[in-house]
Amino acid sequence: MRWLLKRGWMYAAMLAVSAFALFPIYWVVITSLKPRSEIYTRTPDLWPSDPQWDQYPRVLGEGHVGRALLNSLIVASGTMVICILVSALAAYVLARYRVRLTRILLVLVLITQMFPLVVLVIPLFVTMRKAGLLGTYWSLIITYLAFSVPLAIWVMRGFILSIPDELEHAARIDGATRLGALVRVVLPLAAPGIATTAVLAFLEGWKEFLLALTFINKEEMKTAPLILQTFVGRGDTDWGAVMATSVLYTLPIVLLFVLARKHLMTARTAGAVKG
Amino acid sequence: MATAPAVVSAPRPLVVRRAVNRLTLPVLMLLPALIIIAGLVGYPLVRTIYLSFTDTGLGELIYGGSTWVGLENFKEVFANDRLRVALVNTVVFGTVCVIGTMVFGFAVALLLNQRLKGNLFFGIAVLLPWAVPAIAASAIFKWLFDSRYGFVNWALVNLGFDSFQDYAWFAGRFSAYVAIFITVVWQSFPFIALSLLAGLQTIPKETLHAAAIDGAGPWNRFRLVTLPLLRPIVAVLVVFSTIWDFKIFDQIYVMAAGVPDRAADTAAVAAYREGFALSHYGLGSAVAVVLFLILLAFSLLYVRLIGKEGAE
Repeated sequence: MRWLLKRGWMYAAMLAVSAFALFPIYWVVITSLKPRSEIYTRTPDLWPSDPQWDQYPRVLGEGHVGRALLNSLIVASGTMVICILVSALAAYVLARYRVRLTRILLVLVLITQMFPLVVLVIPLFVTMRKAGLLGTYWSLIITYLAFSVPLAIWVMRGFILSIPDELEHAARIDGATRLGALVRVVLPLAAPGIATTAVLAFLEGWKEFLLALTFINKEEMKTAPLILQTFVGRGDTDWGAVMATSVLYTLPIVLLFVLARKHLMTARTAGAVKG
Repeated sequence: MATAPAVVSAPRPLVVRRAVNRLTLPVLMLLPALIIIAGLVGYPLVRTIYLSFTDTGLGELIYGGSTWVGLENFKEVFANDRLRVALVNTVVFGTVCVIGTMVFGFAVALLLNQRLKGNLFFGIAVLLPWAVPAIAASAIFKWLFDSRYGFVNWALVNLGFDSFQDYAWFAGRFSAYVAIFITVVWQSFPFIALSLLAGLQTIPKETLHAAAIDGAGPWNRFRLVTLPLLRPIVAVLVVFSTIWDFKIFDQIYVMAAGVPDRAADTAAVAAYREGFALSHYGLGSAVAVVLFLILLAFSLLYVRLIGKEGAE
């Protein structure tokens, strides 16, 4: 009885918070499996009478959704690869050399994280237009580097700092050049850091909406968030299709998050909390 | 390259040459990142600030030839009802979101720290909303708050609140903000809760125990021991969420689109619309610059906070 009084309300709170966190996700999945008549009803059921999967092949086939997911995958992967290459080099220099500018540079890197993108979007639009890149994957990949590279440098520098200097010295005494030691010793040891950074860069590219909205006009070039917004913005929204699309768009990230949650947390907090 | 060293090395002292050699590699390695930051962040920022002092429209944007109008755009930002409202919306709605997220996130962190049975499941449940992209979350909550077929209205009516029959959440500013507030808190409390949990786990059990022996109840232990020890993390998280919630774009763009007179737009959305929908690029830039200045103040605050921590 005492236990119930003391702990009972905590379990009740835990259940309530879990419900708040999970219910919207549950509702999306359920809606995507319901037939039309059970979606557009004033007495929604918590469980579809007869789960139907045909919503998924339908959106993938008709609504440009498959194409949009592919576009997002291309853009996010491109951003990830270039971001890793560029920021690994910069992070190494900022971790290993006593550059006098290091501190200023790091503060600069952090401040770029805090920019509202809307400040940059008009000139970026003009530049992309002049370069003839509007509506291409490159317009998105290049501009996504603007905010993924600073964060990646910050996170990766932390990882490189934790690799002992001595290993590198040993390699160099054995005749490796600085670059050789970086490629053969430091980068393999920094693999968890690189993986974490890769996930973060990929997510930035996968989730971004504002620049895609500005640069992409053609239906077949639209990324997944853009397609979703187009669906929702219509007068007669096909909610079954929207929910199926949301599931397809979110599922890969949820898996990524659950698998990499420890690393993502340390990376985010290392970037956010430590100086 | 084969002949160059002979020419260069003769007049230069050895020390300088060594210094140059030593610096070539790091500079080359930093260069791509510097070019990206300068070209994609630095240049556009300067350009936007310049545009905010001009009357650039669509024609001027493409062919050039805009005129300098001084502070006219900034006067217009504060004189124009729609834009002024958007700035006030940003500050008020942003602040409410920060408070809501922090309070709820803190409560969840304390709960997670109790290590109840089922904690692993609870931890994953709390993590999941963080993984949902902003646009997907906006779509999901727009469906939950749908006036005719939405789950929220159905639940409220069944609980006896009959006035929510067909209630149109997105037809008015206040009710739209209630729905968007819930969306924002849902998306951002996981990061706050898990960061604070990490902080809570660094507090030594002995300290809390000692306070309990000295007669401090749970509330006083929280207020006098936990909170002061977590102050650095809380401060940084508050600054971070302020920056995130003040520059909010995606959720407002999708969810507040139907509010009459665009009354629920925030500064970021207003700046975007002023530029790309109305082709007032000068005025749009001015709104963006004002938002930028507000956020810059918070960023500087943040840098001071981590500066202090680094010095410890």
